Amino acid sequence: MNRRLLAIFLTFLKIGAFTIGGAYAMIPLIRREVVEKRRWITNAGYLNGLAAAQSCPGPIAINLSVYIGFHVKRGWGVFAAVLSTVLPSLLIIIAIAALFSHYADLPLVRKAFHALKPAVVALIAVPLIQMTRGAGLGPRNFWLPLAAIILVGLLGVSPIYPILGTILYSLLQSFWPKKGPV
Amino acid sequence: MIYLSLFWTFFKIGLFSFGGGYAILAMIQQEVVTRHAWLTASEFTDIVAVSQMTPGPISINAATFIGYRQAGVFGSLLCTFGVILPSILLMLAITLSYVKLRRQPWFQNVLKKLRWLSLGLIGAAAILIGEGAFTDRFSVGVFVICLIIYWRFKPNPIYLLLGAAAVGMILG
Repeated sequence: MNRRLLAIFLTFLKIGAFTIGGAYAMIPLIRREVVEKRRWITNAGYLNGLAAAQSCPGPIAINLSVYIGFHVKRGWGVFAAVLSTVLPSLLIIIAIAALFSHYADLPLVRKAFHALKPAVVALIAVPLIQMTRGAGLGPRNFWLPLAAIILVGLLGVSPIYPILGTILYSLLQSFWPKKGPV
Repeated sequence: MIYLSLFWTFFKIGLFSFGGGYAILAMIQQEVVTRHAWLTASEFTDIVAVSQMTPGPISINAATFIGYRQAGVFGSLLCTFGVILPSILLMLAITLSYVKLRRQPWFQNVLKKLRWLSLGLIGAAAILIGEGAFTDRFSVGVFVICLIIYWRFKPNPIYLLLGAAAVGMILG
């Protein structure tokens, strides 16, 4: 194994192991490692990768590892970066899954989860409210997220259909003769 | 056949997980709870809570957990590989073409619309998880207090959850 590949592996292992609390906690950490410490990529290159990672489906952390791994060492770089990003959470969750069935019914654990569940809803609700404010929603487009809430949240429709519908709708809007995007 | 079903389900989840993190929850819930009944709604919420306290993206944690429950260590590897495979393939394609792609108005339009849509998907996730979470006055109280603390002070989510867990153990 060559040294550069090992460096990629160790860097993303660290990123994978220490980013608790979602992708947005991890973005500055990755930047510090790959732009400032290792100098694998320029700051502009990193920002490009971040934008690409956000527009691609899948977890941002994985998408960004693909981008940076490819940049540094092509196919093997992608392999090393993705493997090491996934490895810490894979091992931890397997351990938790193995223990969970034994301890899930303990009264103390049930009590903890009784409070954890509503706390999780708060963790989802707060960024949602804040994102909604900055999203530029108005009378012309608020129906799109509203339709998603009703279809998926209340009627139990799979998100696949609203997603495909939205993609199709946007493409039609862009390519329909004499009608530009709103 | 369980292996094929696990792999295909998580491949689909990976393929349609636009908008990051919470926007994917409704998709995972739909596939794993409603469609295949691999987990109950309550167990699903437990896993979301656990995911928030451990490193790694929620979709990967859910894939690993459910894969292990259904088919052991091999199942967890298979599901995890399934959920990240679309990311790897699509991201490689985007990496090679992004500079050209992002100048296209149609591409920007698709992304803009998907961003708006993902707000709705996150709202849907809050509703779906809220159904299993709000069982009594205690849980509503915890929600309101967490909402205020998280809104005002923006703590790292893990501290908020550890605090909630401690409160649950003592008062719940």
